[in-house]
Amino acid sequence: MRASPALYLHVASLEARKAMSYRADFWINVVVSFFAQLGAVWYLWTAIFRTTGQATIGGYNLPGMLQYYILVILMGKLVRGQEFSAGVSQDIYDGGLSRYLLYPVSYWSFNYAQHLGALLPAAVQLVLFMALLPLMGGGVGDFHPGPVQFLMALAALGVGNLLYYLIQLPLQSVAFWADNVWSLSVLLRFISGLLGGSMLPLDLFPPGARAVLQWLPFRALFDLPVAAILGRLTVAEWALGLAVALGWCALFWLLAKGVWRKGERSYTGVGI
Amino acid sequence: MIEVRGLSKDFHVHKKQAGLWGSLRSLVKRETVVKHAVKSADFHVGEGEILGLVGANGAGKTTLVKMLAGIIHPSGGDARVRGHRPWERPRDFQRQIALIMGQKAQLWWDLPAADCFLLLKEIYQIPERQYRETLDLLTGMLGIQSELNIQIRRLSLGERMKMELIAALLHSPRVVFLDEPTIGLDLTAQRAIREFILEYRQRERPAMLLTSHYMEDIERLCERILIIREGEIVFDGPLAEVMRTHARHKVVSVQLKPGAPRPDLARLLGRGLDLTVLEETPERLRVQAPRDEIPQLAGRLVTELEVHDLAVEELDIGTVIEGLLHSRQGAA
Repeated sequence: MRASPALYLHVASLEARKAMSYRADFWINVVVSFFAQLGAVWYLWTAIFRTTGQATIGGYNLPGMLQYYILVILMGKLVRGQEFSAGVSQDIYDGGLSRYLLYPVSYWSFNYAQHLGALLPAAVQLVLFMALLPLMGGGVGDFHPGPVQFLMALAALGVGNLLYYLIQLPLQSVAFWADNVWSLSVLLRFISGLLGGSMLPLDLFPPGARAVLQWLPFRALFDLPVAAILGRLTVAEWALGLAVALGWCALFWLLAKGVWRKGERSYTGVGI
Repeated sequence: MIEVRGLSKDFHVHKKQAGLWGSLRSLVKRETVVKHAVKSADFHVGEGEILGLVGANGAGKTTLVKMLAGIIHPSGGDARVRGHRPWERPRDFQRQIALIMGQKAQLWWDLPAADCFLLLKEIYQIPERQYRETLDLLTGMLGIQSELNIQIRRLSLGERMKMELIAALLHSPRVVFLDEPTIGLDLTAQRAIREFILEYRQRERPAMLLTSHYMEDIERLCERILIIREGEIVFDGPLAEVMRTHARHKVVSVQLKPGAPRPDLARLLGRGLDLTVLEETPERLRVQAPRDEIPQLAGRLVTELEVHDLAVEELDIGTVIEGLLHSRQGAA
């Protein structure tokens, strides 16, 4: 008998309720963090445009660039979530994994359901500020996506979220041998931010690098959903991007499975 | 229900020298030592039986329990729990077992117990009616209905342990592993947990494996015990058997008459007997002696002292087991 979808809904709902149970933290997470990131980007790119004196950089004018970053901040948070998968290494390290090994459920599915439930603040943030975006005026460019763009972006977000989680899993599983894998998470965050379009738009890379990047897993994390909502992708380009991402999902899933199976044999549950 | 054959577990433990130099050295080269936590264990536990697992800290009790619950893989040997290899963790096996660890909370810290139980209902897919009936029964037996809606982290240790027991038994497991279930609890809570375990055993008849440092847990709950020393099982049998085979001494207590002259112990006891004086006051004397020397000692005491009362006592079980755990020869 397999675990029922009701279980995972229950788990996600509990996690969502937990995310809302600390009111101050919830609103800091939703509002303050957004303006802090936006302020930094605004200051940086206004200075770059003013210093270089160029009207466009990589095909973006200043309002277009700011719009790109606003969307990357909002959608990127949904892709990365609260980085719940980072809890996997913690569970291995402090023995919290033991209780899940006793239950007749998959630990990964359970953890992923928790990860999805914890997305609630990021989802509220996305809806809130995307609704406000058209009202912000020309300073952040025009933003009027149609229903098809919404659906394309939604699918890209879903796949991006799953992919980021699956990339984390084999890295987190290294904790079976190395105890602390925090530096690997930082490295992933940096590389995925740089090569995925979170730190800067992929259009700023040279054409040769862009051609390579579209086959790597990172583009699907940030560039694909943002490009989809901005209407910069044809359906064929979007579908190819998703197919590449799903291929990487399968690959990372297999890799994580192999590492996990081997690592489990070294698990001590802490203490003798 | 539980069959264990030659089960062993080795841990490879990294060693690190103290100080800054030790830390720098460990970045390049680490020394590893092999710790034999469990050495070729053989035993079985039947339906309705509570087997006590007794040993000093680090003797390998928890490692053994973790292997049988499927949390860790063994280094050698084999075990079957309800016909399954635990570390392969088939779903059917997981639905039939429960593990309660007194030293490690397994419930979700931030949730009220009622929410934790609902989550477990979904995890084990317990039908609604069975869930209600079992929950009512268990909360009734433990008298804890009014605390169900309080966050786990706000409960007292005793209340939390009761919730852990309910959580572990909601799905009516056929095999229950209890690892130090009464550790840190006050005497009333310890007694309540013990009575609950006995009543539950009577009602459901699961196989139970209990580890505890409290001898009262072992004496009250277990008919049979395993004594484990440095990973090796050195005794497997009924509790009474430990006394018969390993309690080679008894204690003679003498109450002297008021105003009786103080005995000259060196003269009295120093004639060819292997004795240890445990207590000596003007009114009372307690002496430990080998079993076969007890009649001679008692006779000598009655003859030469003004005795008001005399009693011969067995050593308490804790002392016998402690002697067994710390002596390579296994004699107390």
